Amino acid sequence: MKAALITNSIVKRYGSKTALNGMTASIPSSSITGLIGANGAGKTTWMMAVAGFLRIQSGSVNLLGGGPFNPALHRGRISILPQDSELPCESYPLETLIHYGRLQGLSKHEADHSARNVLTAVHLADRMNTPIRTLSHGMRKRVMIAQCFIGKPELIMLDEPLSGLDPREVANMRNFISAKSPGQTIVISSHNLYDLELLCDYIVFVKKGRTTRTATIEELTGKTAMLVYNLTHTPLSTADLSELLPECTLTLSDTHSQLSCSFDKTRVSAEQINATLIPALLKSTGIISIERGRSLEERVLNEL
Amino acid sequence: MTSLFQLWRITCYEWFTAMRSRRAVVVVLLFMAASVCTMNFCINALQKMEQELTKVLELPETEQVGVVSKTLWQSKPFRRMMRHIVYNKDVYNDLVGRHPVELMYAWLVFFYTPLLVVLVSANRIADELGSGACRYVAFRCSRSLWSAGKYFGQAAIIAVALMLSGIGAWVMASIRMHEAGWPLLIAITGWSMRSLIYALPFLGLSLGLSHLTRSGSKATIFAIMTLALCFLIEALAVVFRNANDWKALFSYAGVFTPAAHKFFLWRSTPLSLAVGTLWMITLSLCYLIPGHLIFKKRDM
Repeated sequence: MKAALITNSIVKRYGSKTALNGMTASIPSSSITGLIGANGAGKTTWMMAVAGFLRIQSGSVNLLGGGPFNPALHRGRISILPQDSELPCESYPLETLIHYGRLQGLSKHEADHSARNVLTAVHLADRMNTPIRTLSHGMRKRVMIAQCFIGKPELIMLDEPLSGLDPREVANMRNFISAKSPGQTIVISSHNLYDLELLCDYIVFVKKGRTTRTATIEELTGKTAMLVYNLTHTPLSTADLSELLPECTLTLSDTHSQLSCSFDKTRVSAEQINATLIPALLKSTGIISIERGRSLEERVLNEL
Repeated sequence: MTSLFQLWRITCYEWFTAMRSRRAVVVVLLFMAASVCTMNFCINALQKMEQELTKVLELPETEQVGVVSKTLWQSKPFRRMMRHIVYNKDVYNDLVGRHPVELMYAWLVFFYTPLLVVLVSANRIADELGSGACRYVAFRCSRSLWSAGKYFGQAAIIAVALMLSGIGAWVMASIRMHEAGWPLLIAITGWSMRSLIYALPFLGLSLGLSHLTRSGSKATIFAIMTLALCFLIEALAVVFRNANDWKALFSYAGVFTPAAHKFFLWRSTPLSLAVGTLWMITLSLCYLIPGHLIFKKRDM
């Protein structure tokens, strides 16, 4: 698996406080990777260190195979949505994005075209020439997200991209982000686990300035290899059910309200399991609902 | 070439955005108003002086301001007297070869320029560091280019302010005095350009300090305090210019202030102007670079 970004044992201290305590992470190329961690875990600090905003005390960063951030080498190849950073309030969205595009090395025409495209994609076509200071918080956030996508950079880091947006715009942004160009790598730091679950291929867990685990979203949620049956509270024996499905692992919750069925999707399909399990369950209990895998939130609460 | 292009982009963007900021617009307009009002005040003073002179010398009265001064300025006895006072032929030629109004404008523009620079520019970098706006540029170009672009963008705003003040002063002079034609406008523009060169060290000082804080207000206060310190050192350098004890240090310290070299800019010879410009650019870099180097090493 080729990595777009590798950080190795990076340490960042603010006085006596250690924000990154040897954080090691590898972000797979062409993926969307989510960073999950509690407040103050070091997610934002890690992104800022990778982008060259912060000076790290030790460790190494390899950005797109070219070592640590170097403006001459990485100009136009990476972009970041920094947290709590305002755009120049006296400027206009289109003008600002064209300026950024030109700085990245785009021609006048390319910068104009790219800026208009991304602003239209974030539903700001009618606000392109409105002073930024007059835009609402959500609109400014959309301009900030748009600036990340000018000129199709190879690596995009988004720090809390969906916070402060209304539900309609959150859905639009999810579509916008997930429709990334092939070859683009996106890293998202967010506390909104539902959005991460829908967007990400990989999840990196960060705790106290360190990476505690990196896993695919599939490993975490088991969407394609687990069925969860929510049942009425009736005493149930899994032994009989296991005989019906020997290739599956059945786990019953303590309250007998939830039955998990993990399976190897190469050997048996979800349809086959349902066809066997549902009639058997209906004989002895009631089925309230059936879900594919666990939610990311459920897994994260166990993980953190 | 890429770096030069980026520098040009940042300079233009800085100029455009700063010119839209209320603070810059207000300070530029106030500077222009101050220039016009001071010119008016000087012309009033000149008029009073001329009226008294006319009365004492029992000359025929005239409504036009500046006629008596100009006649006196160009009279042979006055010039002979000036030559004896000044001794230096070059300085003498520099002084008597100029219109009195031109000298008035030169004085006022050199007097106000440091304050103009501090009020317009001191907060620019600090504000962007505080709001985080600089981060959107930081991954697109180097920090040095960003700072240099800010410097040139601000220099362009100061140039606009000085040009507008020159035009304002010339308009006032045209209304109040006769013979304030195009040659005077050209001469005044020349002084605006000289004061722009004189503004460079103060710009370096303001932006150098602006790199050190994330608060625009703090940066402005630092700049005003440092400006006051500069003037204090200048004054002490003059007072203790002949001292032989430790107080002589003030005269050495005075070399590092712009005022010690501004008289190069008052002269007309190209060599003198070149030396003055070189001094101002050197001082500007001396003030700007330490702040920038600290900024380069720190977190953004």
